[in-house]
Amino acid sequence: MTASTLALEDVAFAYPGSGFRIERLDLAVAPGDLVAVIGASGSGKSTVLKLAAGFLAPTRGRIVIDGADVTGAPPRMRDLGVVFQAYALFPHMTALENVAYPLKVRGVAGRREQAMRMLDVVGLAAFAERRPDQLSGGQQQRVALARALVFRPRALLLDEPLSALDAALRGEMRDEIRRLQRQHAIATLHVTHDQEEALSMADRVVVMREGRIEQAGTPRQLYEAPRTRWVASFVGRANLWEGVVRETAAVETPIGLLRANALRLSLGTRVTVLVRPENVRLGAAADGANTFRGRLVRDRFLGATRRYDLEVTGGTIVGETPESNAIDVVHIPPDRVQLIQ
Amino acid sequence: MAWVTGCYLAYLALPIVLLIVGSIGEIWLNTLLPHGLTGRWYLDVWSDGSFRRAFVVSLEVAAATCLVTTLIGLPLAYGIYGAGSRGVRAAGRLIALLPIAVPPLVLGFGFVLVFSSDVLPYLGSLWVLIAGHVVLTLPYIVQTLVADMRHLRLGTLLQAAESLGASGPRRFFDIVVPSLRHSLGSGLVTVAALSIGEFQLSNLVAGFLTRPYPVVLLQAFYGATGFACAATTILLALALLGSVTGSLAARGTGAAGAASA
Repeated sequence: MTASTLALEDVAFAYPGSGFRIERLDLAVAPGDLVAVIGASGSGKSTVLKLAAGFLAPTRGRIVIDGADVTGAPPRMRDLGVVFQAYALFPHMTALENVAYPLKVRGVAGRREQAMRMLDVVGLAAFAERRPDQLSGGQQQRVALARALVFRPRALLLDEPLSALDAALRGEMRDEIRRLQRQHAIATLHVTHDQEEALSMADRVVVMREGRIEQAGTPRQLYEAPRTRWVASFVGRANLWEGVVRETAAVETPIGLLRANALRLSLGTRVTVLVRPENVRLGAAADGANTFRGRLVRDRFLGATRRYDLEVTGGTIVGETPESNAIDVVHIPPDRVQLIQ
Repeated sequence: MAWVTGCYLAYLALPIVLLIVGSIGEIWLNTLLPHGLTGRWYLDVWSDGSFRRAFVVSLEVAAATCLVTTLIGLPLAYGIYGAGSRGVRAAGRLIALLPIAVPPLVLGFGFVLVFSSDVLPYLGSLWVLIAGHVVLTLPYIVQTLVADMRHLRLGTLLQAAESLGASGPRRFFDIVVPSLRHSLGSGLVTVAALSIGEFQLSNLVAGFLTRPYPVVLLQAFYGATGFACAATTILLALALLGSVTGSLAARGTGAAGAASA
């Protein structure tokens, strides 16, 4: 097993005077990996980042960086590059001075040249003499990234770095962050509330809920094999129905009997049935299995695709399709029916 | 709307204009405007030793007050802003605001009581006068700085600096001081203007040789109108000078901090 660059081991924390607490949290970032922590507001994801950075001290457990216990070390001794949600660029310094600052506090010679090279890497060499208020949001973000990387930190912490950008720029910056992160082969902990951002950027995703880790895995594992109903609903869009196993390959749900691949569950087991919208097919199945007729109650044009709600007996099926024809019958292939216990 | 604003500005400027007109008028007795043109009232004020001394005292007190309020106000505002507990922050704000709530006259009596005792027989000294002005003006600068710290999200900037390796003193001088140069400047303008125009407390605690300009100015109104107008116009110019100097000094401090970064 590869040693982690950054690890939170059996960490506990509670905000004084609030009911929120983190208990027995274990989280590790392997060298060169990007681990995204996602969760709703108040799930504790930002607290995890603050604990790792040293802005908060755990009440129990250890924070380990490159094998060394840094639990009691102040943030400035941890050698971590942090990119903040609102960039936190120093307003009285130029872009170049901002990037050179961590080198200056370390007394590095030739810091202006090094900072300039890093600005060049993020494509902002021409903006070196501008102050933050003379830069766009995307440019400020790049400066913040350059500043966090220029002193070759042991790991990078990203605190919702794209939340202040518009949608188009967010996509561009995702690729840019990933490029820089890979180029520097730096272990990265990325906190975000945007699941799409997490799934598209991360090697591993950690889903947090109410101060604990609900599930961790690769983006594909989380999307395709969520362990709980909550993870299924939080990661991606989902049709979720409560059901009871009635046959070896069928589950009784409010919308009717749903056939699935052979089940390894005993009859009568209560399950949650998960069907992703993109797995709902238009028209009836050749053998008539999992075919539903209904009334289209909502149809949203999303550009390359459309998302629709089909009201059927006992509920609503949400589907996605690139087709533009009328929708009144859909079917769900049995191999696309997932069960969560 | 424009004419309302115009009227209001005219109403504000009228006393100043009349003072300036009166200060260069030869005679002003029971007429709308003075007769004749002269510069002798300014020469008279200048040749009066007590006015000259008061002028210098006011500048010294204002400069010292600006310096001391900066030295105390900046860390105090930093402490109030950065206090972890909401109660500590509220208490800090309350203490900082107290001198605004208490009339200067009451503060003056307090100073008289404390500094006329045998233990602290310093009433009438320049230092007591400066201390009084500091107490009166400190809340203005602290309030301005705390508001700016919130506006700038200074806490996040400091976290950023800390994560980049900056020590506590380094963060203070590299980030806090230069980031706050504008609010420090505007705060010092207020401090200088208040200090130069302060009368109530100064009248109680100043000694014969440490009377600031406003206290001496009172005498001018027992003499010729032109003399009083010239002396008051000088006070206005003095307040303006103090404000501009305070503002420039703060900008200089901030610019130096920024340049060294």
